[in-house]
Amino acid sequence: MLIVNNVTKRYGKFVANDAVSFEIKAGEISVLLGPNGAGKSTIIKSVAGLLKFDGQIMINGHENKSLQAKRDLGYIPEMPALYDMLTVWEHMEFIARAYSLKNWKERANVLLQRLELEDKKKKLGSELSKGMQQKVSICCGLLTEPKVILFDEPMVGLDPHAIKELKSMILEKKKEGAAILISTHMLDSIDEFWDSANIMMGGRIAARRTRQDIEGSGEDLEALFFNITEGDKRQTEGEE
Amino acid sequence: MKAIVYLLVTRFKNQLLSLKKKPGMLILYLFVFLMIVGSLVFLVFAGVEGTGMDYADERILLLIIGGVALFLLYTFVYSGLSTGSSLFTMPDVGLLFVSPVSSKKILLYGLISTLGKSLLGGIFIFYQIANLRNNFGYGMKEILSLFIVFVLVVVFGQLLAIGIYIFSNGNEKRKRLVKTLVYLAYAGILLSVVYVYQRYGVGAWEAALRVVSSSGFGYIPIAGWGTMFFMGVVNNSLFEILLSLGLFTCLGAVMILVLTSGKADYYEDVLVSTETTYQTLQAAKEGRRVARQGGKKIKVKEQEHGIGKGSGASTLMYKHLLEMRRKSRFIFLDGYTLFLVVGAGAAGYYFKKEQLPQGMDYLILGLAAYIQYFVSIMGKLKEELTKPYIYLIPESSIKKVIAASATSLLKPCVDGVLIFLVYVVVRGMNPLTGVFFAAAYAASGAVFTALTILYQRVLGDQPNKLVQMFFCFGILLLILAPSIGVSIAAAFLLPDALAFLVTLPYTGFCILFTILLFLLNGNLIDKAEFTGR
Repeated sequence: MLIVNNVTKRYGKFVANDAVSFEIKAGEISVLLGPNGAGKSTIIKSVAGLLKFDGQIMINGHENKSLQAKRDLGYIPEMPALYDMLTVWEHMEFIARAYSLKNWKERANVLLQRLELEDKKKKLGSELSKGMQQKVSICCGLLTEPKVILFDEPMVGLDPHAIKELKSMILEKKKEGAAILISTHMLDSIDEFWDSANIMMGGRIAARRTRQDIEGSGEDLEALFFNITEGDKRQTEGEE
Repeated sequence: MKAIVYLLVTRFKNQLLSLKKKPGMLILYLFVFLMIVGSLVFLVFAGVEGTGMDYADERILLLIIGGVALFLLYTFVYSGLSTGSSLFTMPDVGLLFVSPVSSKKILLYGLISTLGKSLLGGIFIFYQIANLRNNFGYGMKEILSLFIVFVLVVVFGQLLAIGIYIFSNGNEKRKRLVKTLVYLAYAGILLSVVYVYQRYGVGAWEAALRVVSSSGFGYIPIAGWGTMFFMGVVNNSLFEILLSLGLFTCLGAVMILVLTSGKADYYEDVLVSTETTYQTLQAAKEGRRVARQGGKKIKVKEQEHGIGKGSGASTLMYKHLLEMRRKSRFIFLDGYTLFLVVGAGAAGYYFKKEQLPQGMDYLILGLAAYIQYFVSIMGKLKEELTKPYIYLIPESSIKKVIAASATSLLKPCVDGVLIFLVYVVVRGMNPLTGVFFAAAYAASGAVFTALTILYQRVLGDQPNKLVQMFFCFGILLLILAPSIGVSIAAAFLLPDALAFLVTLPYTGFCILFTILLFLLNGNLIDKAEFTGR
């Protein structure tokens, strides 16, 4: 379970996240929506413990920078960050050893197989295309069997097979009880499986809806998104 | 053409305006500008009353120009044989190449941009105004001509690189032909020096001066033409000036013809080199190193596949060892080790031959440590901080910091042993002194590594490598000065039998300081922010 409580992140005078709060329960898929520069990646990086911030982030009851929280967390960054001099398989081994995982080899093989990387095991990170690097990054993030998973624009650069496979992996993780946070621009790609949605605008959560809310009220998530993001623009233009 | 002019003018204007947001750069530019103005004022007011004074041999300057130009020429040829130099940037490729603007105009734009950069790069010559005036009695005319020579060499060198790339790309036979021609040309210059040395019985220095000032040298493409132009200006020889400029123009015309004639499509040819240049520049800005395109392809052998050892934080160290093994078969031994070992060996041989005092040995230690500083400033930990994994691994920060720094601490130990082993053997130095020298060298490496951690902790994501170097160097001088002082005092106080202990205070202090810095900044990973650079 993930709790983000009143998180503010500043870069000098610029406020990237302004008192952001939300919660994701075990077995819930939550999406972060918003235009470019809304602060989605910043809040994800703060949750992952990569940035300093004001406020509180708890992962399964542990402060997000604690070792227990790190053990429970999986993070798939927006830009895949592989080591040039390690092969695909060695990335798996690196994560397994660094996280002191047991019986990981079979799991790693299954992940690589599902994302069609089986024949690329001995390819170096520097030899992979951007899409393949993204696939390896996903395998690294999921190998540790995390209970809280953060995906930052995970579909970008993936081929249709990988997108399909990733979606089914996400649903499997949900069934296993993981709390999942996905940041994306692609509303269509998450339409079939999201449970809750946070729409961000100017570093704040502008709206939060659950699937039940939307289904009950007949509201449309896409329309709501444009209403918030473009309505805000229209309002600004009107003020000018 | 309007688009090209607009692009050139707007880029220049925006670059100037961007200085408003970069006060540091503005101060730097102002400083450079004032220095140049100051030098020019000096030149004007110093007058020419020095005429007739005993100035240095003019040929020395010619040797410097010729030598630098030959070196630049070699790098351009090499660049042409591998990736091709580039007149363009990635935005040019993405926006300009696909636009309905003639490729010839785009080429002109590339040339003008490069010319602009070369003009900026050549400004350093104006710093030499006082030097050139005092040593050679030169005035504005000669200094301006030096500047023009630099610009000519760089611009035409770039063009030559592209021409060579187009000519030899993907054709091993042609690559071999270019290489052979270049090696023959350089060997010819060397042989000329040897010939003059033998034939006239003059020293090697005088032989080199005679060759570079001979009329034949002036006909060597680019480098020789540059010296011919300069001598033309110095001697007021219009013929030499026009001839050299004519030769440059001919080369330019041929290269532009190659680039634009028939079906030759230079877009494709410059694409790879532009991408390579872009990646290299990005990496340099971020303080990374990039694998050279066209370099040796790394084959992963079955028996070498896998990290093999490590658990938790120590995995970082074993990963580094694997990465180092992939780069160099001998893991810790690389080109840098070889350079220092050969350098120390050569110095040891010279010191022994000239029977120089033992005090000179400390100079070697100081120099080796000084060089090491600039290499170790980009340690493995710094590389690791550019990836998210080190932040995510569920281990304590200090364990990760130590594990990620382990290979950076070990390499100076191995290098130190090898450097001073060779030095002891060649110089005939007391082996015990050699052991303590190696320890001092290794301890210096440790303190440099620890300083990078302090730097990260204090300044965090400071992208400017220059600031980093100055910051670390300032701190280094501050903290090491007392220990160096104690070591110097020890040199005077210790009896000869215990002279090998002179470096011990310095070494001990370095080790203690390293431990202290690691302990104080062990929480770096918890406190640092990941920015991906």
